[in-house]
Amino acid sequence: MSSLRDKMNRLRGAASTVPSSEEPVAAAAVAEPELTIESQQATAQADDLETLSEEWSSMGVKLLHNEGGSFLIRRLVYPANHRHGTHCIGELSAAVSGLSAFHESAVAAEELLFLDLETTGLGAGTGNVPFMVGLAYWAGSELIVEQAVIRHPAEERAMLYYLHKKLANYRYLVSYNGKSFDWPVMQTRFIMNGYNRKLWEPLHLDFLHPSRSIWKNTLVSLRLSHVEEERLGIERIDDVPGSLAPQLYFQFLADGNPEPLRGVYQHNEIDMLSLVCLSIRFGHLLNGIGTGEFELPMPEEPEELIRTGLWLEKMGHGDRAEQMFEAAIRLEQGAAATLNMLAARDKKAGNWQRAVLLWQKALAQSVHHGSAGMNASVELAMYYEHKLKDYDSALSYVSEALELSLGHPLGRKDAKRRAEIEALRKRKERLLRKTGRNLAEI
Amino acid sequence: MFKKKTLPDLIEELRSNENIVNWHEMQPIEAKTTPFEDSVDPRIRAALQKRGISELYTHQGSAYRLASRGENIVAVTPTASGKTLCYNLPVLQAIAADETSRALYLFPTKALAQDQKSELNEIISEMGIDIKSYTYDGDTSPAIRQIVRKAGHIVITNPDMLHSAILPHHTKWVSLFENLKFIVVDELHTYRGVFGSHVANVIRRLKRICKFYGSNPTFICTSATIANPKELAEQLTGSPMRLIDDNGAPRGRKHFVFYNPPIVNVPLNIRKSATVEVNHLAKEFLRNKIQTIVFARSRVRVEIILSHIQELVKNEIGTKSIRGYRGGYLPKQRREIERGLRDGEILGVVSTNALELGVDIGQLQVCVMTGYPGSIASTWQQAGRAGRRHGEALILMVASSTPIDQYIVSNPEYFFDRNPEFARINPENLIILVDHIRCAAYELPFKNTEEFGPLEITEILEYLQEERVLHKSGDTFYWANQAFPASEISLRSASQENVVIVDQSNVADVRIIGEMDRFSAMTLLHDEAIYLHEGVQFQVEKLDWDHKKAYVREVDVEYYTDANLAVNLKVLEIDKSRNSGHGAVHQGDVAVTMIPTIFKKIKLTTFENIGSGPIHLPEQELHTRATWLELKDTDPELGAKILEQLLLGIANVIQHIVPVMVMCDRSDVHVTSQIKAAHTGLPTIFIYDHYPGGIGLADDVYKRFDEVKEAAANLIRKCSCKDGCPSCIGNEIEGIHAKQKSVQLLLSL
Repeated sequence: MSSLRDKMNRLRGAASTVPSSEEPVAAAAVAEPELTIESQQATAQADDLETLSEEWSSMGVKLLHNEGGSFLIRRLVYPANHRHGTHCIGELSAAVSGLSAFHESAVAAEELLFLDLETTGLGAGTGNVPFMVGLAYWAGSELIVEQAVIRHPAEERAMLYYLHKKLANYRYLVSYNGKSFDWPVMQTRFIMNGYNRKLWEPLHLDFLHPSRSIWKNTLVSLRLSHVEEERLGIERIDDVPGSLAPQLYFQFLADGNPEPLRGVYQHNEIDMLSLVCLSIRFGHLLNGIGTGEFELPMPEEPEELIRTGLWLEKMGHGDRAEQMFEAAIRLEQGAAATLNMLAARDKKAGNWQRAVLLWQKALAQSVHHGSAGMNASVELAMYYEHKLKDYDSALSYVSEALELSLGHPLGRKDAKRRAEIEALRKRKERLLRKTGRNLAEI
Repeated sequence: MFKKKTLPDLIEELRSNENIVNWHEMQPIEAKTTPFEDSVDPRIRAALQKRGISELYTHQGSAYRLASRGENIVAVTPTASGKTLCYNLPVLQAIAADETSRALYLFPTKALAQDQKSELNEIISEMGIDIKSYTYDGDTSPAIRQIVRKAGHIVITNPDMLHSAILPHHTKWVSLFENLKFIVVDELHTYRGVFGSHVANVIRRLKRICKFYGSNPTFICTSATIANPKELAEQLTGSPMRLIDDNGAPRGRKHFVFYNPPIVNVPLNIRKSATVEVNHLAKEFLRNKIQTIVFARSRVRVEIILSHIQELVKNEIGTKSIRGYRGGYLPKQRREIERGLRDGEILGVVSTNALELGVDIGQLQVCVMTGYPGSIASTWQQAGRAGRRHGEALILMVASSTPIDQYIVSNPEYFFDRNPEFARINPENLIILVDHIRCAAYELPFKNTEEFGPLEITEILEYLQEERVLHKSGDTFYWANQAFPASEISLRSASQENVVIVDQSNVADVRIIGEMDRFSAMTLLHDEAIYLHEGVQFQVEKLDWDHKKAYVREVDVEYYTDANLAVNLKVLEIDKSRNSGHGAVHQGDVAVTMIPTIFKKIKLTTFENIGSGPIHLPEQELHTRATWLELKDTDPELGAKILEQLLLGIANVIQHIVPVMVMCDRSDVHVTSQIKAAHTGLPTIFIYDHYPGGIGLADDVYKRFDEVKEAAANLIRKCSCKDGCPSCIGNEIEGIHAKQKSVQLLLSL
C-alpha cells in the first residue's frame, strides 16, 4: 500500500491534476448496530432503541428495519396551530385550494408530500447521495416531519425501500428547486438501486419558479433561507448553512460521532416548515387577498407588485393581477424599467392607453440615464408612427431615443448596442422622409 | 493575358522540375464488390440505391456480415473508401428490425460528429424509417438534450463528452444503456498515447455501465492503416476483435511526388527552406484555381505559410479564399472553413494535421506537405485528402532539412514498401488508471473483488479509501466525496489547466480567441511572444501564469519568436538493464525539470536571428518513464567537448527516429543528452515520455532498441553530407570523422 501511495505522490507532485485530499483522519470504526433479522413491514414503526447510542436518541433519532436493511429516522409532529414566522402551519387547509392553479387540478392538503434533501455533493450526478431525506405530510390535524438518514452508503437500500412505499400515497411533490434537483437526485438513487425509473410520477409544486418570477429583482438572493426571512417572517438562529452539510456528514462518516449532524437535522427541519409556509403564502395569494382571516403582508414596491401581478395573470387570475397593477401605478415611484415591464404587458394586451401613459412616465423619469428611457421613447416612436400616423411626434421621440443612447456614458457599445443605434438611425431617416424633411437635418 | 492551366498541364510541367527526386505513380484500382445480403431491410437497400449504391464493397460486406452476428470488428479503411457504411449499415439494420435498438457513435472530435450526423440523416430520410440520430456535445442545447437522452436511436458524441457528461449521469440515459446494441469507434488510430490511454479507461467505464443495465453491445471500429489495428482495438475496447482489411474501394490515378529543395550552402549541406518552396508551389496551383490543401507540421508554421501565400496571390484571388485551419481556432470558424471547402468557395487551405481526420471537406485535387508528416500512417491520411474515387490527383511532399525528411526522400522504398507504424497506448498508466477508477466509483460502487478491465484493483480501491475518496461498507466501496471527479480530468492533455488566450486589441471588445495546454504555453505564449492566429500576428503582452491567461494584442511585425527550454533529468529507479560491449541500456523512472530560458526573434523573410529576450516562468517538474543509453569506456582521446557534440548529434537523430518508430507526436517523446549523468557520471542519452507516469513510448523503445539503433545508424550513414550536417548529426565537426564515430558509438551499445 505504502509503495502505491509513494508512487502516486511522486507522480502527482508533477502532474498536479488531482487536488490533494483533506487531512486524513484516523477512521474510527462506526459501531455496527446488531441488525435484527425480523422482516418488518415498511410502516414507520421504530424499535430497538437500545441499538442506537445516546447521541442519536438525544436527537430523537430511531432505528428502522425493513426488507432492505436498516436506517435511521427522526419523526416530529407539529400541531396545526404551530406558528412559523408570519403563518400558522394550519393555514394550509385554507390556502391549499389556491394551489390548484398550478396544474389546473384540485389539490387537497393530504395529497401533498414536501421534500427537501441534504446531499453529499452538488448536481444530480450518480455519485451525489442524499444522506438525509426530509419529508413532510399532513395527517389529520397534524403535520408530520420525517427525516431519514443513512449511517453509511450501504443503508441507502433500506431508506429507499421505505421511501418508495411512502411516495405512492401522494399526488403532489412540494419542493424548492425539487423539479431540477431533489427529485432527479431521488430518481437517480432509485434507478441505481434497481427500481423502475417510473415508480412515481408526481405533479410538481416547485416554489422556486414563482419565487424567481416575483422576487428576481427585489430580493438579493433566492435561497429559501433568504426568502423566508424577507417574506415569511422567519428568523433562523445558529443555523448551519446547507452548503456545510456534506462536510459535516463526511466528518461523521469518518469518526462515527453523530454530534455534527444535530445542526443539519435542525436546518432541514426548518427548511421543511418554511416550505409549508411558502405553500401557504402562494396559496393565499392565488386565493385572493384580503380574506381577512389571515395575515398576508403585501409587497410595497411597484417592481414586486407588478411582477406579482404578471405572475397572477399567468396563473389565470387576471382580475387580481389588475389590482396589483393599479396599486403599483398609484405608488408613483416605480423605476423606469418597472414601468416599461407593465407597459409591455399592456401593449400585448392591447391596452394602449395605459401603455402610452407608462412609457411617458418612464421617459420622464430617466432623462439622464438608463436604457429604460431609451426603450420607452422607442416604443412611443413606434406607437406614434404606426398607430397614430403622427410622424412629427414619432420623429421627436426617435430623436430623443438616439440622443439617450449616444449620450449614455456607462453603456458599453457592444455589437447589440451598435445594432440598436443603427436601427434607430434607420427609423429616423424613414420618419424624416415621411415627414418630407431634408436628410441634412439629421 | 493569363491563361489558366489544368492539373494535367501542371503535372506535365512538374515532371521536368529538377528538384523532384522521386515520382511514384499509383494506377487506378477497380472496385471489388459483393451483393447486399438478403437480411438487409428493403427500405435501406432502396435508400442506398437512390444514392447510387447497388452493391457493397467487399470490406463493407464483411463488416455487415460479422457485426450483425455480434462479432466485434475493426475495419482498416483508407481515406474515402466508404468506411461509414461499415458501421451505418449494421446499425440502421438493427434499428429497422427492432425499434428499441440503440447505438452510440464515438468520434475523436466534435467536428467529425457533426459531419456524421448530416450524412446519416440524409440516408435516414431517404429510408423513410423513423430513426432519430443526434449529436450530443458541448454545443447541444439543454432543450434538445432531454430528447436525445430519451428518444435518440443513434447518439453521436466524443469521448470527452462520454467521460464528463454521459457516464456520470447514466441514470438519465436508461433507455440508451438498456438497449445499446452497437458502439462505433471511428478513427481508431487517433486513440493513441495519452489520449488513447484515457479513452481505453473511459470505455472500461462504459462497459461497466452497460453491464449494470444488462446490455452487451458489439464494437465496430474503423481505422486508418496502422501496423496493429487489431491489437489497438482490443486494448482500447477490452474485447476480442475480428480484423477486416479486404478493402474493395476503387481509386483514381495518383501521383505521389517527392520534392527536395535545392542545396544553397554546399559545405553545410543546407537546403532552401521547405516553407519557401511550398509557398511557391502552392501559389502556382492556386492561381490556376486548383483546389489545394497544404499541410504544415506546427501551428506556427501554418500561420507563416498562410500569410505568405495570401500575400503572393492577393492580386489574383481574394485572401478570403485561402484559409488556415488548426486546433485553437474556435469551432464556428472551423465549421465555416469546412463548408467553404466543400462548396468550392474556399480554394486553398493551410492546415496542421487537424484536417488529417475524416472531417468532410470534399475532394481536393492537390495536397502539398511541408515536410514529412512524421509517420507513414499520417502521410497516407494526408495524401488521401487529394483525389477521391475518380480523376487524377497530385501529392507533393516537400522535404525539409531534418534528418528524417532527408532520409525518406533519399530512400523512397523505406516509405513505399515499409509497414506503417504501431499505435501504442498504456491504459495501466497509474495516474490515468486511478483517475478513471475515481470516476468509475462515482458512477457505480465497486465490489471488493470487482475487476476494472483485466486488472485487480483492490489495492487502488483501498488507497482511495485511505484518501477519503471512497467509503467501504461490507464488501463494497462507495463514492464518498463532495467532488465531481470527471471535471478534474481532461482526456486530452497532461494538465487540465489550459491557458486561455485573451485578445485585448479592442478595449471595448475583449475576446477569447483560443486556448493552449500548459506545457506548450511555456514556449509559445511567454511575455513578448508572437502568437499567430488565422494569419494575424498577436504579441503576448502578459502571460498571467497563476490564472492561466495570456493577454495578447494585434501587432504587425517582421518576425516570429522561438523559445529555448532548459531540461534537467534525474534517475529515480531502474527497472531493467541490458549490458553490452561498451555500455548499457536501462529502463526506469525519471524526474524531469523544465524551465524556459530565452526566446529568439526570427525574421520572417530570411529566418535570421534578429534579437532575443529572457523568459521568466516557474520550473515545471515531470515524473515519467524513460529509456537511457549509457556509454561506459569511451575513447579518452575524444575529449569532453567532442564527446558532448557527438552525443548531441546522436540525440538529435534519435529524436527524429523514435516518433516514427513508435507512432506518436514529436512532442510526446523527448530526447536529451548529458555528458555526465547525475547518477553515474557517465555520458548518457535519455529518451522519455512527455507525460506523468509515461504512456509506454520509452518502454517500447527499450523493447525495440536494436531496431531504433539500426535505423539511427542507417540514417547517419546514408545522409549525403560529408561529415555531419543539420539533416543528421548536426553541424560538421572539423576533421574528426564525426559521422563514423557517431555510428561506432551507437553500434557499441
